[in-house]
Amino acid sequence: MAVQQIAQISSNPVGERIDHDDDAAKWWMTVALFNVVVFGTFGLIAAVKMVMPGLFAGVSWLAWPRIRPAHVNGVVFGWLVPMSIAMFHYFIPRLSGAKLYGTRISQIALCIWETGVIVATLGLLNPWGGELQAGSLNPWWMTKGKEWEDYNAISNIIITVALLMVDYVIFRTIAQRRYRQIYVATWYAVGTLLWTSLVYVVGNWPGQAIDWTLHTYFGWDALPHFGFTGSNDANVNWFYGHSIVGLVATPGGIALAYYFLPKSINAPLYSHKLSIIGFWTLGAIYFWVGAHHMIYGPIPYWLQTVATVFSFLLFIPVAAAVINFLGTSRGEWHQLRNNVVFKFFIAGTVMYFLVSTQGSFEALRPVQAIVHFTDYTVGHAHLALFGFATMFAFGAALYAAPRMWKRPLYSEGIAEWSFWLAFIGITIYVVSLTAAGIYQGKLWMDYPHLPFIETVVAMVPFWHARAGGGAMMVASMVLVAFNVYKTATSPAPAETRVAAKA
Amino acid sequence: MAKPKAEQSVLWLGIFASLTMVTALVFTAIFPSYNNRWSTNTVDGAKYFRAVRADTGTGYSKLEEEGRLVYQREGCMYCHTQQVRPLRTEMIRYGIHHSPAPPADEREGIYDEPHFLGTKRNGPDLSRVGGKYSDDWQFSHLYNPQQMVPGSIMPAFTWLFSNANPADPSMAPVPSHECVALVAYLQSLGADRMIWDPALNGGKGGYRPWLLPQDKQNSLAESQAALMNAAKPIHAPRVSQ
Repeated sequence: MAVQQIAQISSNPVGERIDHDDDAAKWWMTVALFNVVVFGTFGLIAAVKMVMPGLFAGVSWLAWPRIRPAHVNGVVFGWLVPMSIAMFHYFIPRLSGAKLYGTRISQIALCIWETGVIVATLGLLNPWGGELQAGSLNPWWMTKGKEWEDYNAISNIIITVALLMVDYVIFRTIAQRRYRQIYVATWYAVGTLLWTSLVYVVGNWPGQAIDWTLHTYFGWDALPHFGFTGSNDANVNWFYGHSIVGLVATPGGIALAYYFLPKSINAPLYSHKLSIIGFWTLGAIYFWVGAHHMIYGPIPYWLQTVATVFSFLLFIPVAAAVINFLGTSRGEWHQLRNNVVFKFFIAGTVMYFLVSTQGSFEALRPVQAIVHFTDYTVGHAHLALFGFATMFAFGAALYAAPRMWKRPLYSEGIAEWSFWLAFIGITIYVVSLTAAGIYQGKLWMDYPHLPFIETVVAMVPFWHARAGGGAMMVASMVLVAFNVYKTATSPAPAETRVAAKA
Repeated sequence: MAKPKAEQSVLWLGIFASLTMVTALVFTAIFPSYNNRWSTNTVDGAKYFRAVRADTGTGYSKLEEEGRLVYQREGCMYCHTQQVRPLRTEMIRYGIHHSPAPPADEREGIYDEPHFLGTKRNGPDLSRVGGKYSDDWQFSHLYNPQQMVPGSIMPAFTWLFSNANPADPSMAPVPSHECVALVAYLQSLGADRMIWDPALNGGKGGYRPWLLPQDKQNSLAESQAALMNAAKPIHAPRVSQ
């Protein structure tokens, strides 16, 4: 990467030059990349344990049902959200024409956030096994038992504090902006932070822990509960659970694409109007679809139907984003040959379209009857959070790291390898699990007397393929993290050092 | 190009973005909760779905409540659902012999905090498992799932047993108190579920347990026979709590 090009990008078109030190963004990105390697490896262990259930036998804290929530929540709250926040710290000062407000506050927020992630992961894994576990039935410490809400109540409080500090820093930075017009990436960043903060508090309300404390220490068994129960609990769980995917990971990823895709190919955005339509339809529609996780379940029939209808309405924001990204790339397709950041964003865009289409059709009752509870859903989730959100985040990391540390990228070759490993890995992963899910669902549907274990044994070949694809995905994470690490620690080029002094 | 004023205001952006969330929360989460099947206060006929226990006044006894926490901590709900969908194939699969499993009902969950509906079946549904296997079968299965179900991918929960040492068969594993509580909870799942049988009371209809007595006996006898064929059966402790 030519130094002149870096200098040109960092320069401020309005007038006096702002030197963005990006210290907060560097911290957040470093921790996020550390987390993706750790929690990605957790996922790989879980995938291998599906075909080798005897692996680490007797080690309670590496048992499959403890590793799994640590992986799932780790990649969202340890990787995707911190990575989005890191990139907000990078592009919001640049789009606002103002220095970041409160680098130090943001760095403290990161330390608090990571403490929360570590506390939560320890609570899930609970490595103090054996006899010590006798007294460990404490709902403040263990998993909350609901998907995406698995992080324990203590860590929720810690993470909420950090989240509010980040909100404060970012919103203050936007408030003191010098450009009146708000670019759409900032819209999505504001949406991500606001929606994350709102749904995080609603979804992680520690009702069970409060009830347990009142019951155990104060002998208070009076009803009603402070938490939700049964179907009501499930409904709130999925209102939150789908918002985590749709209003935290999705706008976080799209915000990155709206900034980094035009930047990486040096082309203007296709349509501002389309991006605004996409933003508001995303917010207006995505919150309604949570109940499609309980089709045929014990919730009202009309609620399931509403969720299905809104799942199809999601084509509007999806089409708006995809058309905008592909339209921005018009005339620049030749850059796919050697621009690895562009590759990540285009692959992510295609997978965003695929996974959203898949999700809409999955919400239909006849489809859901077969694929619900199978590996199909697991493949779908990985296509969304790896194929779409993580691809975008990798592209953003490889674009931003050289500019933040003001050094050329350590290795374009390693970046190419990380792209192809990620791309081929996720493809193997999703194809094998989609096939496995349809196969297992059909076995359950058509042979009600077939012993359950037969339908599990039939999945083993698919699970082998999945573990292989997963290994490639983890390898790509390691390569991206290594590339950024070497970029950050390599000696600075001479010209940049002179420019920084001047 | 001139852009509308509202597009330049972060305040309006924040207000409208919050409104989208609040609207959906009201319509999809709060509005449905005014539902006489979802809470312990307003429910009608909940006793047909889960019997109230004498010692606690809720749907779970002290021991079952503790077992529920063990179920939660060990993450059973990540692999086992607790909802039978109203599909013919599932009612047969999770039923026992001539008793098809009744589908999940909203009123079954009113004492469940948190819910364990689940989303993934790495193992079978558990909402109708109460009474399907003997206690001894459950202990043996928790200690060594592959022994009871060859090909199973379930982890061996050896840390719920004292004297646990799979390498040394001479040591007899003893289920811990937590394990006893867990099995008590498992045996309560679906055990009190009643169904409406129009043939009862001379054609007037009435409620009866979903599981016919002879089916329950046959099922327990089968699981006990399977246990006897296993290499190392584990027997329930004689009232260790």
